[in-house]
Amino acid sequence: MRTFRLVLATLMGATSLVAISLTSSIAASASSATALATCKTTINNQEFTKGKLTVGTDNPVYTPWFVNNKPSNGKGFESALTYAIAGELGVSKSNVVWVYEPFDNSYTPGPKKFDFDINEISYTAQRAEAVTFSESYYDVTQSIVALKGSVVAKEHTPAELKTYLYGDQIGTTGLAYIYDHIHPTQQTRVYSTLDEAVLALQTKQINAIVVDTPDGQYMATSEVENAKKQADGVQVGQFPSTGEHYGLLFTKGNPLVGCVNVAISALRANGTLAALTAKWLDIYTSVPVIKP
Amino acid sequence: MSLDTDESSSTPNLFAPRYKRVFTGRNGLAVSIVSSVALIGVLVALFFWAPGSATVRYYYFNGHYMWQSFVGHPKTGLLSVGKGFLTNIWMCLLCEVLILILGLGVAWIRVSRSPLLAPFRVLATAYTDVFRGVPLLLVVFLVGFGLPALGLGVLSSQSPDVYGCVALTITYVAYVAEVFRAGIYSVPNGQILAARSLGLTHGTIMRRVTLPQAVRTVIPPLLNDFISLQKDTALVSVLGAIEAVRAAQIYESTVFNGSGLVVASLLFLAITIPLTRFTDRLLDQDRRRRLASLS
Repeated sequence: MRTFRLVLATLMGATSLVAISLTSSIAASASSATALATCKTTINNQEFTKGKLTVGTDNPVYTPWFVNNKPSNGKGFESALTYAIAGELGVSKSNVVWVYEPFDNSYTPGPKKFDFDINEISYTAQRAEAVTFSESYYDVTQSIVALKGSVVAKEHTPAELKTYLYGDQIGTTGLAYIYDHIHPTQQTRVYSTLDEAVLALQTKQINAIVVDTPDGQYMATSEVENAKKQADGVQVGQFPSTGEHYGLLFTKGNPLVGCVNVAISALRANGTLAALTAKWLDIYTSVPVIKP
Repeated sequence: MSLDTDESSSTPNLFAPRYKRVFTGRNGLAVSIVSSVALIGVLVALFFWAPGSATVRYYYFNGHYMWQSFVGHPKTGLLSVGKGFLTNIWMCLLCEVLILILGLGVAWIRVSRSPLLAPFRVLATAYTDVFRGVPLLLVVFLVGFGLPALGLGVLSSQSPDVYGCVALTITYVAYVAEVFRAGIYSVPNGQILAARSLGLTHGTIMRRVTLPQAVRTVIPPLLNDFISLQKDTALVSVLGAIEAVRAAQIYESTVFNGSGLVVASLLFLAITIPLTRFTDRLLDQDRRRRLASLS
């Protein structure tokens, strides 16, 4: 009898949970509009400086995330996105204030001197213990960089990818991707820095490096060189996303993250995020997708 | 001087075993034990007392992680520190053989007197000067990234383990050559004069008279260099080779626990401590041999 009651209670609980989640998804679009409306008033009490949206980023900053090292010009993906978020929250362009925050300081514990930091900061569980992240505004994929005209550039089916000799920097998501998804037959070379891996690639000690797509794009076009100092790298392809993403960074527990998440969701729903990605991050999204 | 062991005597017996020499005097053994226990106790207490003790013990001395990093976990791509250590062992054994042969060769050239060998003497001197002066890590980098960059076919397409061995050998030969040279010079001149008076040639004197005595003298310092070489194999990790330390670092960055580093340290100790003890014993024997010749 007791058991029966327990089962009944569990069943009822489960049903009501399903019901709640159903309603919430139906009401999502409607509620986001009301949530945004509420946020426009509540954020005033949550902002670092009242009436202003204080945004941190590094200096210098690079294209395509920012343009001309000027975050306030609204150009570049992260600058444009910041102003789009501000717009959703009812903050005028002139009330967005940019402050300098070195990348390495951003994810250390303690109070911050900004509302959020936008600087291609990857979400990691470790960092999330010290700071709070918004939801994803850009999903980071891993990509393969090899030498132009090398065999990797031509042959990269999943079976072929296993046969290559990889090199990577210790502790990177790229190295983890090699171990977890590619499973190469030869032991991967693990270097202390990414520069050493690039050097090893240039001198043909390894066949390929796995690195996130934005870094890989720079590596292939600007870092890997042949003996004549010409760019010699090629970004062979990018792998499907594994959930690694960039998030806006907040002081741990800052309630403002709630409203910023609502704004990001709204931008995703109305297509603005996709449009911004297409406009500014074309060099990354255009890399062909391959399977590990 | 009596060879009998006399504990109450005020003059220490130089021929007694080492432990007896250390623990002599009234209640020597008891005092030693008490002071050792007290010192170790204070250090251990300090370690456990420290505010961050629990964190440190979890991060570096966690039994589960230590074992897992030792055996590895192939399914999740975790490398085995134990397997990595095999690389350290074969590298240091192979290098040691090369180092002893080449080191003796360089020393031989440096002590030679033939005018024909003069340019080689200059080269050998320059070589030992340069490679004893350049940090090993830089030699590893220069060989490991420089040789492949030259694009010299076979020379440029070796594995990092091989380049690591080359770099270790280059540096250690410079040291070991100097050790051998010191050994050769330690043989009394009278020995060589006596050998020459018997009509032995220069080469024969070297092989039959000088070297046997020289090598016996330098065995302890050579073992010292061997122990040091064994540890320095870890430097080859910068070339991408997966040896014990690099495997432990990869484990640390994947699991966020540094117990693998302690495992690597223990593995190195498992080799170096017996070797150090052995060297000590040889030194002891040598000392007794020389003391005996004095009496």
